[in-house]
Amino acid sequence: MELFLQRTVDGLSEGSVYALLALGLVIIYRGTGHLNFAHGEMALFCAYAVYQFGEWGIPIGIAVVMGMGVGFLVGATAEVALVRPVARKSAFAVFIVTIGLFQFLNWLDGAIWGGQQLPNTGVGSKQVSYPSLFPAADDDFVTIFGAEITIKSLGTIGLVLVLSAVLFFVFNRTKLGLAMRAVASNADSAKLVGIRTNTVLMFSWGIAAAIGALGGVVTAGNAQSVSQSLMFSVFIYASAAATLGGFDSPLGAVVGGLAIGVIQNLTAGYVEWVGQEMKVGVSFLVIVAVLLVKPSGLFGTAKVERV
Amino acid sequence: MTLLRTRGLTAGYGPVTVLHGLDLEVAEGEIVVILGANGAGKTTTMRAISGTIPRAGSVEFEGHDVHKSAPDAIVRGGIAQVPQGRGTFPELSVEDNLKVGAFVRRDGGGTIGTDVLRWFEVFPRLAERRSQRAGSLSGGEQQMLAIARALMSRPKLLLCDEPSMGLAPLITQELFQVLERLNKEEGLSVLLVEQNANLAMHMADRVYLLETGRIVASGSAAELSADDSIRKAYLGF
Repeated sequence: MELFLQRTVDGLSEGSVYALLALGLVIIYRGTGHLNFAHGEMALFCAYAVYQFGEWGIPIGIAVVMGMGVGFLVGATAEVALVRPVARKSAFAVFIVTIGLFQFLNWLDGAIWGGQQLPNTGVGSKQVSYPSLFPAADDDFVTIFGAEITIKSLGTIGLVLVLSAVLFFVFNRTKLGLAMRAVASNADSAKLVGIRTNTVLMFSWGIAAAIGALGGVVTAGNAQSVSQSLMFSVFIYASAAATLGGFDSPLGAVVGGLAIGVIQNLTAGYVEWVGQEMKVGVSFLVIVAVLLVKPSGLFGTAKVERV
Repeated sequence: MTLLRTRGLTAGYGPVTVLHGLDLEVAEGEIVVILGANGAGKTTTMRAISGTIPRAGSVEFEGHDVHKSAPDAIVRGGIAQVPQGRGTFPELSVEDNLKVGAFVRRDGGGTIGTDVLRWFEVFPRLAERRSQRAGSLSGGEQQMLAIARALMSRPKLLLCDEPSMGLAPLITQELFQVLERLNKEEGLSVLLVEQNANLAMHMADRVYLLETGRIVASGSAAELSADDSIRKAYLGF
């Protein structure tokens, strides 16, 4: 029972990261109808940036906010400079462009910070390990029903829940949120009611990448280091989470992310032949199963319209 | 007083020019109807005025040249368009559809809420479905919603693009009655394009006939229905 509880909470904590990334995927998909293949790499770039801020002696609390700012700029710039010009031509071209951006950002990380894991005192890092947002010493845990739950896990889960609440408020109670939903629903009519759709899309990409940045920092914090391959598998899990929850549902992204984390951890823990190495396979199976049984996902809407 | 005046309005899509220099006028408090067959350029005219497609020539609204203004500036200026085929936000609730119609307004939530209630009074069927998704409404209800949404911006001029399309004649009549009432009671000016002339002619102060992107005739509804060739081609009697 303790083991089950522990594995579940660990799963929720890992799933929180997927939820953060999936939220960004969903926000972009709702805005422009595209899968942003570079989403994980945008997050990684920000994770590197936060490492850099740490090197300059900036405390993690401030550094992570700055990192999210970097994310907003990267996302907004990508939409304005890359996605918007090609989106007019074809939706498929956007997909290719985001793959290009994926490669470019990964190359850029290497060009700026080198190919090794960071922090690395061998190349002059002042930090010993990647900064964690929450206390992560060996004795930072609470015992619940005999299971040792780390403060870091609880903090990560809490972070996602708070962020979800904030996003829910923005989407449903603010003018920007109403505009974002309107553009997602019918871009032509949004123009006709006076919404600057281009500005809204820029904001959507910016917000998505800023949330992704948070996901990148938490991922690097959990791994205690950042490297060029950090986000590859996380991006796949996040895609699985968005597919499971429904690509047009922010609530689905959160639930899907947490569910993928738990499913993964429980199968890896209880099904021997899956283990840690086959975890990617589990999310792949989830994607296939969802697409076969309920293509719109748990909370997604199948597009049906009366005329 | 003239509210809207276009001079040599030209517009099209890429290399294709659809409108070849339209001179249109809508005076304050007028209902003006543009009649035309399929492909005459009715929808293009609406889009050119609302700024959603590139256009050339002059578009004056209340004496200001707006032909270079972006769509949001045009809505702010007081022109609202009901697009062809409803153009509601299918995933948004009926109430949110109305709220989004007030997007350009700077007065707070209170007066916007009052306006929402007001349109619920005018269209009681929308009130019954206020929290339903707009996509689940019938065609007639969606058209009502589209009109109410456009009016939420408190426009001086309402552009209506074939509101009768796909609707039962009775529903169309009901919609036109609402427009007429708003015109009489509040001085709302309306520019309406229609293919189906009979109902629209009844309430029109003036009528333009559009053929392949050019205005071929204009005048009062009575004048145009007195013209035999026009009556046969557009009114069918």
